[in-house]
Amino acid sequence: MAARMLPVVKLATKVTIGGGALYVAWDSGLLGSSEQGSEALQKAKAAIPPAIEEWMKYFGLETQLPNIPKVEFSPVQAWNSGVRQSISTLSEAPTNATKYTNQGLQYLKDLAK
Amino acid sequence: MSEKELGKKWDRCLADGAIKVGTGLGLGIVLSVLFFKRHTWPISFCSAAGLGMAYGNCQSDLRSSYLLHRNEKEQ
Repeated sequence: MAARMLPVVKLATKVTIGGGALYVAWDSGLLGSSEQGSEALQKAKAAIPPAIEEWMKYFGLETQLPNIPKVEFSPVQAWNSGVRQSISTLSEAPTNATKYTNQGLQYLKDLAK
Repeated sequence: MSEKELGKKWDRCLADGAIKVGTGLGLGIVLSVLFFKRHTWPISFCSAAGLGMAYGNCQSDLRSSYLLHRNEKEQ
């Protein structure tokens, strides 16, 4: 009797765990609209440092982990300025090419004199 | 749609994409371990499904400014 019930119980447990994971994901708005998704990301970002601290305390590694230095580098700003720089270089490229070609030709003419 | 609004929409799209792919990955791992004998394909499938959901959301979000919405129609 128990031997026959065991596979059923196993399956029921697996379905409960799988279904529970799916339900938690759906309930916390992870599978919803864009707004819900980005809100969830902000909440996760805010919750990570205290969570890491708690884990460190739990494992007693508090003193060993050095403080992550605050880097004054914004990837968004760097990317945006890179894009602006590239596009402005490309837009000025024909003018600059003409100018440098003329200068080069003038230099050669002066050499030939 | 102003440029600022467009930028915010893209930010939302990327954040949502990251969340959905991560969720898909997590759920894929759970399902793979529980039901599919630790094969890799459920993980890939669920991550790709998450990416697809994020793509659909993003598409709908970016198109919404060109569509006439129901509450505007009723006015």
